[in-house]
Amino acid sequence: MKLPRFSRKALCIPYGVFLLFFVVAPMLVILFFAFTDAAGHFSFANFIKFFSDPTKLSTIVYSLVIALVTTVVALLIAYPVAYILARSHIKKKYVILMLFVLPMWINFVLRVNAIRELFNLLAQAEALAWLANANYFKTIFGMVYDFLPFMILPLYTTMMKIDNSLYEASADLGGSALTTFARVTLPLSMPGIMSGVTMVFLPSMTNYVVSDMLGNAKVTIIGKFIYTYFGNDWNMGSMIALVLLVVVFLSTWLTGGFKADETVRGANL
Amino acid sequence: MNAKKFASVFLASSLLLPSFGMLAGCSGEEVTVLKVYNWEEYIDEGGKDSYVYDMLLDEGEDPDEDDAPPIIEDFETWYKDTYGEEVKVSYSTFGTNEDMYNELKLGNVYDLLCPSDYMIMKLANEVREDGTPYLEKYDESFFDPEREVNGEKINYYIRNVSPYIKKQFETNAGLETPEGEPRWSEYAAGYMWGTTGFVYNPEVRDKQGNPIDLGSLLEEKDWRIFIDSNVKGLITAKDNVRDTYFAALGVTYEEGENGLSALHEAFLSGELSQEEYTKEITRIFNRTDSETIDAVKPELMKIKENIHSFETDTGKADMVNGTIWLNYAWSGDAVYALNEAELGETDRNGNTVPGSELYLSYYVPEAGSNLWFDGWVMTKHVAEDPSGKTKQAAQAFVNFMSRPDNAMRNSYYIGYTSVISGENDEMLDYIDWLYGGEENEEDFYDLSYFFGREAGTVGVYADEEQRTSRQLYAQFPPQEVISRCAVMDYYRKDASERINELWSQVKAETLDTWAIVVICLVVVAIALFTVFVKFGGKIDLFRPKPKKGYHKV
Repeated sequence: MKLPRFSRKALCIPYGVFLLFFVVAPMLVILFFAFTDAAGHFSFANFIKFFSDPTKLSTIVYSLVIALVTTVVALLIAYPVAYILARSHIKKKYVILMLFVLPMWINFVLRVNAIRELFNLLAQAEALAWLANANYFKTIFGMVYDFLPFMILPLYTTMMKIDNSLYEASADLGGSALTTFARVTLPLSMPGIMSGVTMVFLPSMTNYVVSDMLGNAKVTIIGKFIYTYFGNDWNMGSMIALVLLVVVFLSTWLTGGFKADETVRGANL
Repeated sequence: MNAKKFASVFLASSLLLPSFGMLAGCSGEEVTVLKVYNWEEYIDEGGKDSYVYDMLLDEGEDPDEDDAPPIIEDFETWYKDTYGEEVKVSYSTFGTNEDMYNELKLGNVYDLLCPSDYMIMKLANEVREDGTPYLEKYDESFFDPEREVNGEKINYYIRNVSPYIKKQFETNAGLETPEGEPRWSEYAAGYMWGTTGFVYNPEVRDKQGNPIDLGSLLEEKDWRIFIDSNVKGLITAKDNVRDTYFAALGVTYEEGENGLSALHEAFLSGELSQEEYTKEITRIFNRTDSETIDAVKPELMKIKENIHSFETDTGKADMVNGTIWLNYAWSGDAVYALNEAELGETDRNGNTVPGSELYLSYYVPEAGSNLWFDGWVMTKHVAEDPSGKTKQAAQAFVNFMSRPDNAMRNSYYIGYTSVISGENDEMLDYIDWLYGGEENEEDFYDLSYFFGREAGTVGVYADEEQRTSRQLYAQFPPQEVISRCAVMDYYRKDASERINELWSQVKAETLDTWAIVVICLVVVAIALFTVFVKFGGKIDLFRPKPKKGYHKV
């Protein structure tokens, strides 16, 4: 019995099959549902309905804003952390890094629930009573908390790779601390920023567990919308999902997420 | 082991495997598989919280968890003893009626489902894309109380179901269903039922420490408690459109000349008969026309403004820890919350912390509320088994769950109310065991309607709290509560679309049109700018592509 000879290309077949069944096929199904009506006939009705409905457009805008704020806040917190961890000579700094990543090992719903209870407790104090109805604040807080590790890790790995001699060169040439940051650190950590932004921005548009539990379900983001529509109108649900897909695709493309750049790849998790 | 050997072993074993399977298949009798699809936590699962376990404790024994098996295991044993055949129940659960419907629509196969009233109607009226119906009717023999198998009168459902529930299922609970649409009873056998209302904490204090009588406030405001500023941020609504739309209808149509309250008055004074009254309120609570939606929308907005949260399962916990004062809830969940709160907090040794017990109450709005039923329906799949054994097993399952002792077990475990009353009023003993008190004339709690008897003849003796606001009142509502409740129909096509739109408008924020236009323009401008920066001057469609650097030799 002679075994068929495998070429190296044949090793790709399982991945190809996987992609076909779990990525391409579902997308085609979404596309199909988005452009058909309940009876299965081709129709643009959902498309028109989506873009003529101010509520749906507003929800996209709100989700974008929530995601944007989350990303900016996460970046502002994560950047100094990553910088300090990468540049300082603290012993066992991986322990500190680990502490930041540790929450990711605990069930996500459990963590969000814990924050919810924490806020409930805080809101009982007179001075913090405003917390009870600060639904947008709590939602963004939860999102930042949840996605922070995804911002810190790529930043940390990129910054670790910046050669120390570059800083020395900058100092030798008379660059102040500020100039060094602006001309050396920031540009060289850009791939990490991009990678972190992509990983935080996109999920925070759809993570409705946070907005439901911390925003008391009074904050509606696009992910929740899709979920609600899939309860009884798959076609509209698919259309919203499709629009979101396009928004995500465009923003990834524009921020250069598809570039198979060496540094970007290294910075990804 | 070289590759060749490995391959031959692999091939040989893969050839052998199916025959192992065949051997196993041949050795025993054929096993019928019954696929049951039920709500989460909606059946006795045995163990420490079960009726059997607590009964053993009551008898002074020291049971362990294995002494209280899940009811499904008991069904399998019973089926084998009675029918002499093996059945294997493959049990799975769903979270909402809509989830269940989607699963069915996707083509997932189940034999026995437990949807709510409106979903039963939807399934009974709809057909699949290939034109086949979703549901299978019950056999004629299922309704024969005398039918015997192996010397046992096995049609427990028809013998033990409450006459009141039976009538509701035969009349679609007073809904004006269009001509030609089936009765629930053709497709469904009842399982659990109840009302919706408010769980509230009767002993709350405001910021200054003055006690607030929520009970009186509820009686005064009724549905309008949802928009009352006294409970701003302290009340919850449900995060699903049906229940919250129902509540908003209550808020909108409570007052006014032909409003819900006025109708209730007219009913109490005898101006309206029960049938007329039910018809009127059912009509109001099922209004879905555009005019109604326009009227309800501002009220829904006010509700959203006033409530603490839209919730599906956080309400019970928030109630117990004092975050909220009122929780709009289904009666079974209410019973559960009341039971839990009453136990109080436990310390590390499992003892109750003194003073942590909380005695919550339940209230069904005077102006009328929702009456709901969950029932077992069989899918067409049971009829695909030519031997008829799947259908037989499905009907046997319903019958087994309807045997009074099993109905008690399920009810005890989940807190909801079984549709079973028992042919010899067995359920009455159970109610008495749970909530009964001393036999004082004035403490009589009349449940005759549920047992199908003349008013004033059947009931239990219970203290005033149980009769008016506690578990007994929530789990086994008195006739005066039932008489003012209405069921919800399913939303027909157009109505469904209108209500979805309404719900998304309520849940999401809507910006002004000009704001959207401005934002869109800004986004497009940023996108164009980025594209320009990225590809500035580099876009040239006519330039030939540069040759690749490497050539195959």
